[in-house]
Amino acid sequence: MADTSLSFIFPAFTRDYIDHPGQNLPGFDEQFSQLLHTGAETVDSVLSDFHFNGQTFPEDELRTQYLTYIYSCTASVILRKHNFYPLYTAGYSMGIYAAMFDAGVVSFETGLELIRLAYHSLLDSLKIGRFGMGILIGLNSEDIQQLINHFGLRVEITNQNAPHSFVVSGFREDLTKLLEHSKEEGALHVRDLGVSLPYHSRFVKEGAMEFARRIGHLKFSSQGNQIISLIDQTILVTAESMRNEVIRNLFQPLNWFSTNRMMLDKKITTFVECGTSKDLVKNAKFVDGNYRFFALDSFLLQ
Amino acid sequence: MATITERTKSEVKEIVYSFFAEECEADIEQINDNTSIINDLDGDSLMFLELIEIFKKKYNLDIELKVIGKYAVKHPVATIGQLIEMQLLIIEHENRLMELDK
Repeated sequence: MADTSLSFIFPAFTRDYIDHPGQNLPGFDEQFSQLLHTGAETVDSVLSDFHFNGQTFPEDELRTQYLTYIYSCTASVILRKHNFYPLYTAGYSMGIYAAMFDAGVVSFETGLELIRLAYHSLLDSLKIGRFGMGILIGLNSEDIQQLINHFGLRVEITNQNAPHSFVVSGFREDLTKLLEHSKEEGALHVRDLGVSLPYHSRFVKEGAMEFARRIGHLKFSSQGNQIISLIDQTILVTAESMRNEVIRNLFQPLNWFSTNRMMLDKKITTFVECGTSKDLVKNAKFVDGNYRFFALDSFLLQ
Repeated sequence: MATITERTKSEVKEIVYSFFAEECEADIEQINDNTSIINDLDGDSLMFLELIEIFKKKYNLDIELKVIGKYAVKHPVATIGQLIEMQLLIIEHENRLMELDK
């Protein structure tokens, strides 16, 4: 039975495992090792070399995505073992695959395959140019769009995290210029996210279409709990709508702020960030409302 | 424009010290005006932003974040004491903060 005030959020990929929230949770390491073993057998045998305090593959984007997914799926399994069932599940950015695993839409192995196919489809489609993503805090969307237009930058706003917090994607040289101009314009914080693909932007639409062709054989099921689209905040119901969501998630802009607000309107009062980072917990400080946003450990150990 | 009283100064200092002690899991007794936000406390600009939001609500301030951002580019903050000084200027001058440079 779902807790109607509870939502699980699966974050984007991260490279940082220092003080990760699962380290003090009973059974976490064993469950993670089990899924890591399956992951190594399914998509990449080198994954078995991973160690929280050793080899974490920080420079390898695809392995980083696999590992974040494996970590988030471990969080999902642990939460279920503690009998927590959310009303809503959402996947922030590339957290969509773990969200679909959590909701029972795809198997663990299918989630890994989706990550592999998405990465290669997009990479294959971007033959010319270097790309990236960044974060901008302190300006509003009109300010950022004006800078993009004024300097003719091949960059798009691809997510809004909070009233004055945005993610941008595009050509790397233009992204760098946008971050510099934004500082001059009064942005309080800018950061290059250090990724090579411009997710959630028109620049990868062609790759997303190729991804759609490549995932035709993969099975999507109707879910156990409801998934919220970060693109338009609709509640996804059918297996086909889930398949469509993983495709458009690659090339359409997201809005986490609207998604967060939508769930607050639906009387969600407890959010759990089901991953290695606490970025969404930190972001929640800038989104008003009567709710609590927990990291995995603080939720389970409260 | 708000008038900065001794009470305001005391409130701002207390809020800033308590905020960094909690956020950075530091002993409040170890924090002083010369404490480096980045080097000693491992603080970041997101914490600065969070503090601004706290003061915006507490003092009902009318100020755009980009005004503070532009001011901060010209007047970078490194220590707790400098941060308190800037917060007091923000409370006192709000959106007219940049006029201080004219």
